[in-house]
Amino acid sequence: MRLTNRILLAIIVLGMLSSCGFKDIDKRFFVVALGLDMSDNEKKPYRITLQLAVPSPKIEPGASKTQIETIESESISEGVRMLKAYVDKELDFGHCKVFIIGEKLARKDYRDLLQWMMRRRDIQSVADIAIGKPDAESLLKVRPVSERYPGNTLFLSFGADGTESSYTYVESLSDFSRRATEEGLDPLMPVIVKDNKQSFIMNRTALLNKKKVKLVLSPPESQLYNQLAMDFTKSSMHGMFEGINLVVALTEIHSKYHIGKQNGEETITMDIKMKVVFEEAPKGLYERDWASIERQLNKIYAKSCVALLRKIQKAGVDPVGFGLRYRATHPGSGAWKQWESIYPTVKFVVRANIKIEGTGLIK
Amino acid sequence: MNRYFFYNFILVSFINLMLYVPHILIQLRYSGAVSSMLVGIVIGSILVYMYSSALARYPEKGLPEILKLHCPKWLVSISMVFFAAMWWFATTIVVVAGAILINRFFNPDANVTLLLAMLVLACGYAATRSTLSVMFIVEIGLIVNAPIIMFVMFKAVRSPQLNWDAIRVVANYVTKMPTLTSVAAATFIFTGYINLSIFNRLFPPNFRFKFRWIYPLFGIMILFITFFVPIGFHGTEGVNQYIYIWSLTADSMLMQYGFIERILFLFLIVYLNLTLVYTMSGWHQAMELIKSCFRNSKPEIDSPKTLISNYVIVGIFASLTILYHMLTNEKINMYITSFWLVFRMFIEILTVIWVFVLSRRRSTAA
Repeated sequence: MRLTNRILLAIIVLGMLSSCGFKDIDKRFFVVALGLDMSDNEKKPYRITLQLAVPSPKIEPGASKTQIETIESESISEGVRMLKAYVDKELDFGHCKVFIIGEKLARKDYRDLLQWMMRRRDIQSVADIAIGKPDAESLLKVRPVSERYPGNTLFLSFGADGTESSYTYVESLSDFSRRATEEGLDPLMPVIVKDNKQSFIMNRTALLNKKKVKLVLSPPESQLYNQLAMDFTKSSMHGMFEGINLVVALTEIHSKYHIGKQNGEETITMDIKMKVVFEEAPKGLYERDWASIERQLNKIYAKSCVALLRKIQKAGVDPVGFGLRYRATHPGSGAWKQWESIYPTVKFVVRANIKIEGTGLIK
Repeated sequence: MNRYFFYNFILVSFINLMLYVPHILIQLRYSGAVSSMLVGIVIGSILVYMYSSALARYPEKGLPEILKLHCPKWLVSISMVFFAAMWWFATTIVVVAGAILINRFFNPDANVTLLLAMLVLACGYAATRSTLSVMFIVEIGLIVNAPIIMFVMFKAVRSPQLNWDAIRVVANYVTKMPTLTSVAAATFIFTGYINLSIFNRLFPPNFRFKFRWIYPLFGIMILFITFFVPIGFHGTEGVNQYIYIWSLTADSMLMQYGFIERILFLFLIVYLNLTLVYTMSGWHQAMELIKSCFRNSKPEIDSPKTLISNYVIVGIFASLTILYHMLTNEKINMYITSFWLVFRMFIEILTVIWVFVLSRRRSTAA
């Protein structure tokens, strides 16, 4: 009797299982990258591009196969739903690691897009997000020769697994979403440019306010920003000493800042400590007095930092989070209003402290 | 034996994430949540000390037996049924949230009621076992899952994404007056002691509570992580827009060289395990409380035979849970939960004082 009961129970439970909507892996299309553009069609403003992975038994450079599907639609989610009718397998966003926003859309308004991404449960918050130039669709159509897995090139460029470029700022979706809502911390993301060959260039950073792009940093500025805000080593800086070009590589960098009144003016004081090794320098530098070289480098570095911070300030954005620090150090709900009036006129003082560790392998 | 107390304590403090405690606290982050947390820590720690020292005088006895020693039977029966309802409700909120979570993150095509029915079936069966077996299941459940939760929390605290400025901004609001709802939510972290009402039966006569200082410390750690880590991850403003705040926080982290890259799935699986363990333990206690109202009831901690009444009582709990799920939705559930948390705090304070006073009276009389 008890045995029959148990068998009956097992059958009931198994019967319940069958209703789960499980689809086999070969009946799924994995979306590896999603691109969003503005279309010229006013009624259907969004142009959605999906890069779908085509599974292939070969794993070798250049063997990656992808399928690109594009649709124009009134809203993002309707477009994605509609795209399901274009393909034969179930679309799965579980492996979508890269989102590219077309430049035109990013310059207009990104808020709807962000909301859609955060609302979808299957879009991972750790995915990377970037701006595509000239547009997302043409970027997704690029087929890099060295790509082993579908969509891998873009993804490798972002993470720390593959290349780690000091020019590329890496932005995750969750960080972007935080910055898009936070008072005193503004979003930023890398800009991907398609070059004439089949590859990408990611050496610019776009600074955004709560709605759209305000400023795009040039490659040297992007690197400087990564050093300042992210303490990014594996990068270099350029300096002059007695009219001769010097290039040093950073082995260590620590930056901190505080906000306070100096001589009656609100000032952001930034202290940057770094240790450097020469990569390009005239011969005989080893014998010279390093302290004077350090002083010279400090001066140049501080000057370029202040210039960058001023430029960011003029654009009316705050990606470093000065505003948030001000709120943290000034309790009370009025701090944010105060900061909004302070920031446009705030003074920057950068104190660089560069230590030369060596001249490389030659004197 | 002290570990049985500790298991109950950490189980409840971990499960707070399923009871929308971080959600409630974060909603009130500018209007008194931080100071409420401090008040909650004080209240919670005092209750832990009071209840454990009161129960230490009644070894091998649960709450119903203690009350029966001193109070009229009708009063005990009424309060037992009432307590059972409270326990049932806590677990119901948790298991319903668990079913919804599975539906949202694992399989959106599945029917939530069906998922809930399966969870309830498993928990219900486990809850009908004897008190000692239930305690063992809690022990195994925690030994398997707690290290993973600690790992995720540690990873979150050490993450470079954590913005300490945002945490400082919110911490500065400590000067705001505490509010009732947030104090109630904060004290929930410490509420594991109330599970001793039944599990005190397991403690032998010469038992003494040891290392009681660890409970406030552990509670403070969990409470601060629960509240501040999501703020550090999602910012002072963005944090308020999410419903499943901790799931999102776990999703913001990446385990590059783990077997599963997304911490979210690890986190969800572990939390669903805890949900099952908590529901089982809660139903078992509620069942024992109701059984103590029966005339010829005799508390047994490890009876070889399962009584029919166990199945009947837990069956009623299970069907009420499914009914509750059908009658409510996410929003109403959340709303009721915040009321329940406040109500629970008062009931628990009353219970603790009641038992504490009884235990002192006895010692002075004797």
